[in-house]
Amino acid sequence: MIIIMAVDALEYEKVEEFNCRNLKQKCYGKTDISEFSQPRTMVLWSSFMTGKNKEEEVLRKGDKEMWNITWGLEETLFSEFKSPVVLDLPGFNYDKKVHDKSRELLKKFFDAKDDEEKRKIRREYNNDAFEHHKKVKQDFLRAIKEKHDLVLGYFSIADVIGHLNFGNTTMMRMIYKELDEIAAEINSKGKLIILSDHGMKPIGVFGDHSSYGFWSTNFETKLRNPRITDFYDFIIELKRKQE
Amino acid sequence: MENLKLVIVGHVDHGKSTLIGRLFYDTDSLPEGRIEEIREICEALGKELEFAYVMDHLEEERDQGITIDTAQTFFRTKKRQYTIIDAPGHVEFLKNMITGASQAEAAILIVDVNEGVQEQTRRHAYILSLLGLDQVIVVMNKMDLINYKEEMYDEVKKELLKFLESININPTYVIPISAKGGDFIAKKTRNLSWYDGPTVLEALDTFKTKNSPRDKPLRFPVQDVYKYDKRISVGRIESGIIRVGDKIKILPSGEETIVKSIAEYMKENVMQAEAGKSTGIVTQDKVFVDRGDVITHLEDLPVITDTINAHIFWMDKQPFKKPERLLFKCATQEVMCSIEKIERVIDSSTLRLLRRDADEIRNREVADTVIKTEKPVVVEDFNKIQELGRFVLQRKDTCAGGIITNIQKE
Repeated sequence: MIIIMAVDALEYEKVEEFNCRNLKQKCYGKTDISEFSQPRTMVLWSSFMTGKNKEEEVLRKGDKEMWNITWGLEETLFSEFKSPVVLDLPGFNYDKKVHDKSRELLKKFFDAKDDEEKRKIRREYNNDAFEHHKKVKQDFLRAIKEKHDLVLGYFSIADVIGHLNFGNTTMMRMIYKELDEIAAEINSKGKLIILSDHGMKPIGVFGDHSSYGFWSTNFETKLRNPRITDFYDFIIELKRKQE
Repeated sequence: MENLKLVIVGHVDHGKSTLIGRLFYDTDSLPEGRIEEIREICEALGKELEFAYVMDHLEEERDQGITIDTAQTFFRTKKRQYTIIDAPGHVEFLKNMITGASQAEAAILIVDVNEGVQEQTRRHAYILSLLGLDQVIVVMNKMDLINYKEEMYDEVKKELLKFLESININPTYVIPISAKGGDFIAKKTRNLSWYDGPTVLEALDTFKTKNSPRDKPLRFPVQDVYKYDKRISVGRIESGIIRVGDKIKILPSGEETIVKSIAEYMKENVMQAEAGKSTGIVTQDKVFVDRGDVITHLEDLPVITDTINAHIFWMDKQPFKKPERLLFKCATQEVMCSIEKIERVIDSSTLRLLRRDADEIRNREVADTVIKTEKPVVVEDFNKIQELGRFVLQRKDTCAGGIITNIQKE
């Protein structure tokens, strides 16, 4: 089984700072996303699963409409697998309602003028992210126990929580530890690739996307500073080797 | 409020952070609202409250410079305040203790009862022995994982005590605890009904703080001598109290005289000055006083010697090689010295014995040495008066720190 833990905004520097041994696995490093004009979530995951730079196509849809993009199975690397499970991946099958709500709350937070109101919104925003995370985690761990040749779980918690709380080290450490524990639980179940679209950098107490991503594998590889599109062939090749 | 400086050491995964978090939580020493935030996140992630995160929060405060003293954090009992000295790794701990950056008065050695004594447990215990710390509590943590069984506790305790005895550590208490569950940290719980000793906090409260430097014998290293119409010897009083009329001795010359007056800027009729104070004195007789001299009372004197046994921690990339000469600096004394004998050299990271009767000390190595100064110096055993028991060695910059373990009187 090939397992992909797709973690939005998993920051290389934080993985190092918090010494998340299980996220680092055997080989790890930064990805090169310099070919993209900005580190946008939908652009990067679209490019990952299709193996092509999809920036132009995605941006053509406009800021709002791009979130409705759904690539067909045949266009993605998942079509190479017999029984793939892909959970909540943007541009493929993610739960748009959940992500729309967090974007809406984020906007409300920045529009709010009163501190008490901001506190209330932040709590609702965080709780929503935690609830969604628990659901994805449960589905992901269940799928790994079943018979599939590919399981991909998309975890948005580091991104969602990070945007409003990146300056809260205790909270970020707890999030990274949670992700590290998930990696520990699954690293013996198959070939595990952990991949982020981009990382996160501090903007005051908030967080914004950084200009590189994170990758790691639980097996030896020759990857050094791969582009996100390189994983298309890399994963297909890995599958062929397993057969 | 009385303060005791405490260091917590032990293997990395044996629960140090959880114990620290629990000590802060159980003594109500955390800022309001913080534990609730941690509890909320743990609940949201479907986990039990993890006290280790409290430690993260304290670290975060320290990183942001929120706590007043950036290297230390505090918790309180009814009896006193405790300062936990940060020991990020044993190399740093050893270095800090030797160079005087931090001075622990007591230690807690933590052992995971389920895993038993590990290599790092041994190393850390060895450092406590090296530094002569004699107020030590051993806590056997994670008793919850072995269902609070006495037999396994006894087994690990036996193994540990045997090792500690071999390095001359006799712990004051050995306490079974669960930092996670809160057993025997602040509260006695039924889980450990077979154990009739104190809780960790009760045990800590029985320890003694090192005497305030004010209560120790007078040590007044002279920094400079101002020559106006009268000669004023100035410096910082490291320990004790000096009063007008006191009979004093100037070391190393041994000349005796009486304090005629105490001179302080913009102050008149100052009759005494105590430890920690920078001051100046005028003597009744014309005696020769110079920078580096140490003024004392006539009794309870330090040692004047040119031969010192010391543990030194080498912290320069360029190794020491015999017969290099170095500058020995202790309080305000500066004198050239040589390291006459390097009895043994230890790797500060693994604490492995590397060489005996060596000629060289490399970066991050600890050595038992005999140092010969080119002129007699006024020094003390480190465990008696630390200010005169600690020194640095210099080339152009500081290359080593040391503590005096034994003094060979002239």
